[in-house]
Amino acid sequence: MNVLHIARREFGATFSTAVGWLVLCGFLLLTGVFWFSQFTYYVTESANVVFNPYGAPMMTVAEHLVLPFFGNTLVVALMVVPAISMRLFAEELRSRTLELLLTSPVSTAEIVLGKYLGALGFLGVMALGTAYAPASLYLWATPDWGAVAGGYLAFLLLSGALLAMGMLCSAFTNNQIVALILSFSAGLALYVLAWLGDGPDAWQTQLSIGSHLEDFLRGAVRLSDVVYYLSFIAFFLFATHQRLESTRWR
Amino acid sequence: MAKGLRRNHGIRVIQVEQLTKVYGSTAAVDHLDFQVARGEIVGFLGVNGAGKSTTMRMLAGALGATHGRALIGGIDVFQNPRAVKQMLGYLPEFPPLYVDMTVREYLLFCARIKGAKRPREAVERVIAQVALTGVAHRLIDHLSKGYRQRVGIAQALVHEPSVLILDEPSSGLDPAQRVEIRTLVQELAAGDVTVVLSTHVLPEVEALCERVIIIHQGRIVAQDRIDALRGLGTSVRLRVARPVDDLRARLGAVPGVREVTDLGDGVFSVAAEIDVRTEVARVAVDAGLLELGGSRGLEDIFLQLTGGAA
Repeated sequence: MNVLHIARREFGATFSTAVGWLVLCGFLLLTGVFWFSQFTYYVTESANVVFNPYGAPMMTVAEHLVLPFFGNTLVVALMVVPAISMRLFAEELRSRTLELLLTSPVSTAEIVLGKYLGALGFLGVMALGTAYAPASLYLWATPDWGAVAGGYLAFLLLSGALLAMGMLCSAFTNNQIVALILSFSAGLALYVLAWLGDGPDAWQTQLSIGSHLEDFLRGAVRLSDVVYYLSFIAFFLFATHQRLESTRWR
Repeated sequence: MAKGLRRNHGIRVIQVEQLTKVYGSTAAVDHLDFQVARGEIVGFLGVNGAGKSTTMRMLAGALGATHGRALIGGIDVFQNPRAVKQMLGYLPEFPPLYVDMTVREYLLFCARIKGAKRPREAVERVIAQVALTGVAHRLIDHLSKGYRQRVGIAQALVHEPSVLILDEPSSGLDPAQRVEIRTLVQELAAGDVTVVLSTHVLPEVEALCERVIIIHQGRIVAQDRIDALRGLGTSVRLRVARPVDDLRARLGAVPGVREVTDLGDGVFSVAAEIDVRTEVARVAVDAGLLELGGSRGLEDIFLQLTGGAA
C-alpha cells in the first residue's frame, strides 16, 4: 500500500511542475513532427511507386511507418527521460523532504519502488499520448498490431531502464541539473556503445542499451532482450536503494 | 503498542544508551545517556552545532548511529525502525513539506504513509488541532513561514503518535502562535504523549519543560529538572556609584558567595550558591548602590555550562 501512496504522490508531483508538462509537450511535439514528416514522405513515395510492380509491394506500412515511428520515439525518449528522473530524489534532497519518508514507517525499498512506479506512470501517459499515430493507421490500413505492441513495449523497457538509471543519478545530488547531465550522458554513452561493437556478438553491442530494441519493432519479443532490460532496471533500483541506505549510515 | 504503554504508568519511553555519531574524526554526538518517562516534556538545549538535531534525527530513524543504542517504547530504533516510526511523530529542523501540494493533500499523504487508522478523519482532526482550517485548501508554497511550521507540526501529529520529537517547534512563529503551540504540547503531554523538543527560546523551555538536557559539543553537560538546575547557583549583577577598593573583598566575604568579578565602571558580578541578593545589597549600599540585577534564569546556567558560546 505504501508503494502505491508514494507512487501516486510522485505521479501527481510530476504534473504539478512546469518541467513535467514541458517534458510531456516536448515529447509529443517531437514525436509528432517525426510522425508527420514520415507520413508525408510515405504518401509521396507511395504515389511515385504506385505503377511500379516491384516498388509498390515494398512500401509496407510496417516497414515505412511503424518501424521509423517507434525508432524515432525511442531516440526522443533517450533525450527526455533524464528530465523526468532528475527530480525524483534531487528535489527531495534539496527541499529536505526525504526526511519525511525516512522517518515514516515505510521501508527504503518501498520509497524507491513507489517513486519509480510513479514516474513510470508518467511514461505511460507519454506513451498513451502518441497512440494517435498507430491508431490512425488502422483507419485505412491493417498494420501488424504485433509490431505496434512491440514498439510500445520497447519504449517502456528502454525508458524504464533510463528512468532507473536516472533515479540513481538523482539520488547522488541535490541539484537537478547535475542529475540531468549525469543521467543523460550515461544514457547516451550506453546507447552509442553498440556503435563500437564489432558485430552483434561483441560485448559492446550486448551491453548497449540501444541494441536490444530492433526485434521488438518487428513484432518479435525475445526473452533475452526482455531479461536484459528487466535486469538493468533491477540493478539500478537496487543501487538506488543501497545509495539511500548509505546516506543514513554515513 | 500505544495502548500497552498507556497501561504501564511511569515507564521509560525513551532510553538512550551511549549513543554516538561520528562524522569523519569529529563526534557530533558523543556517548549520550538519557531517559524520558511517559508523558514527560523534555527540552534539549545547546548552542548551534551542539548535536541536538543529530540526536533527534537518530531517535527518529533518519540517521544511523555509529555506536550505542536507542530504545523507544522498548523497541530498538536501529533494529526495528518500522515499529518505532509507527508510534513516533517527528518534526525536523526544516519542516519536510511538499510545496506543490495543498495542506490537506499533503497531510492526507502523510496520514497514509504513517499508517493513520482513518486517514481522512485524522487529517481533519489535526487541521483543527493546529488551527489550519483557514488554509487547508491552499498550496503549501503560498503559505507564510508560521503556517508552514504548523503544517510541519500537523504532519508529526497526524497519526496520533505516543512519542513526539520536535526540533525547534516554535521557530518562525510569532509570540501568539508560540503560546498556542506550547498549549498544544502541554495538552498532548497531559494525554500521555512523551515529548522531546529542542529550542533556542529559553523562556519557552522554562515554561514548558519539566526537565532539560543541556548538550555541548556532543556531550550532555547537565540534565535535571529545571528547578534543580536553577539550584546550581545564582548570580547577582550590581552597579555602584563609588566602587571603593575593598568592595570586592567585602562582597566576597558574604556567606554563600563563590566568586566576585569586577566588570569595570562600577559593575560587579557575584556568583553564589544561594540567593544572596539581600546581603549583597546591604554591603553595596555604602558604595552607593545604583542597580541590582535579580537572580539568574536558565540563560545564565546555560551560558555557564556551555562556556558562554551562545
